[in-house]
Amino acid sequence: MTELDFKHKMAAHCESGTITSLLNFGGLDITEPLVFGISGGIFFGYFHKMKSFAFPTFIVRNKPGQMRVDIEKRLGVKFKTYAFKDPASGMTALDDLIDRKIPTACQVDFFYLDYVPSWERVHINVHFMVVVGRQGTRYLISDAYFPKMVELEATSLQKGRFAGGEMSPKGFLYHLDRIPTEIDMKKAVERGIRKACFNMLKIPIPFLGIRGMRMFSRKILEWPAIARDTEHLSHEIMKINILLEDQGTGGAGFRYIYATFLQQASEILNKSELRDLSAELMLIGDGWREISLFAARIGKNRDLGAEKLKQLGDMIRDRADVEENFFRKLSKTV
Amino acid sequence: MKEKEGFVDCPDQQMILYVEKDDGKYGPIQTGSYLTANYLDDFFLKKKNLESALRDQLIRGSISVVKYFMVLEDLTLSELAARAAIRKSRVKKHLDPSGFAEVTAAELSRYAGVFNVPLANLLQVVLIKNKEQFESAMILENRTDHLEVIQDQTENPYVVLTKISERT
Repeated sequence: MTELDFKHKMAAHCESGTITSLLNFGGLDITEPLVFGISGGIFFGYFHKMKSFAFPTFIVRNKPGQMRVDIEKRLGVKFKTYAFKDPASGMTALDDLIDRKIPTACQVDFFYLDYVPSWERVHINVHFMVVVGRQGTRYLISDAYFPKMVELEATSLQKGRFAGGEMSPKGFLYHLDRIPTEIDMKKAVERGIRKACFNMLKIPIPFLGIRGMRMFSRKILEWPAIARDTEHLSHEIMKINILLEDQGTGGAGFRYIYATFLQQASEILNKSELRDLSAELMLIGDGWREISLFAARIGKNRDLGAEKLKQLGDMIRDRADVEENFFRKLSKTV
Repeated sequence: MKEKEGFVDCPDQQMILYVEKDDGKYGPIQTGSYLTANYLDDFFLKKKNLESALRDQLIRGSISVVKYFMVLEDLTLSELAARAAIRKSRVKKHLDPSGFAEVTAAELSRYAGVFNVPLANLLQVVLIKNKEQFESAMILENRTDHLEVIQDQTENPYVVLTKISERT
């Protein structure tokens, strides 16, 4: 098997984990929380009606693919990117990069990855992983969600890379091109914080940022009317737990990883107030964790009456209030 | 969250959680999924009930197999149309058994690709006897005690080999 000297490491999130591992492979000593924070990854968005989602949903991070773009802008690193119309050319290009011993990140639909347990598989076109070896029709994959490297058949990899639909991967690949000799980490951290504060507080769209949390807290009361039946509603309510905890967030919808970023940022910028804010965000995250557990419990017990959903909505609104206050304070530090 | 509060014993689904370590520093720990550890049975129960309800509608002729898989895989009409590269109005027709009668072999092949199932399974439902009742092979995922179903795609894109064997 063509295999690269690539150190596999689990990460909280596939995109920040993939970027971190490629940068580490290239010799840059950087942590996943710093990658996440510098890219301004923390976010919130509620989508009540979208043609690509079968049920209302929410996100707790910025747009998929944006982390790489923002890391390039703020650190000055360069990634080389490729997209393909033809699957055969896309697979040949990947083989060529692996044969040249270049660890290469792929964007795929999670659903087609055979090594993922069935209960985790969903059609989502924005999973990232690093291909680090191949032999015949099998590829060696460093997937940040798994403790060890995994193998994947070429047919499954091709299906995942060339799935159609919303945010279709189009065979997208990227690898590290160069790391500058000098990086202004202070400036990068400050720009990342400013971007996160802007996204959470100032985007004038009612379903994004803090406004999005408040919309979520109101609209969740409409979920019973949209669900097919009680079991469907239970499934969707329990998905709140998945989106906040299991779907690669580092816990509490990325609030814990962002708190870790702020703690590291306080040392880089030598600002003690960031250390205090990181502790505050850890506590805010505990509140999100309570929401996750509450959603799992009422979903499992089918205890989904109006009273319980109102309670859930109130818990979400409370997070909006504390996060609005938090991000206002954070915006004054940089 | 403190490190000791974050650990969940679930080897089937491992993940990274950021916690406060004993020295006050925040950092990652490898732990398990709380939901998988505690509620996976409930997930499979709901999935099984949904499949069973959809299969009833399929057998009665009130929905097509395209609708059956679209709902099971949580896809919308727009998303399925985009993924299968078939016009939305045509996919809409295919959701209904009468409209499904107009589907072409090439379109069936595209649907099978999106749903990641053997093409043959768009014209049949494979059931296995499990604990005195027949259940969908897809939902059981070969977790029965005595029977195993393996379906292989052949070099002919329109032929699937379905092998049923006793578990040894």
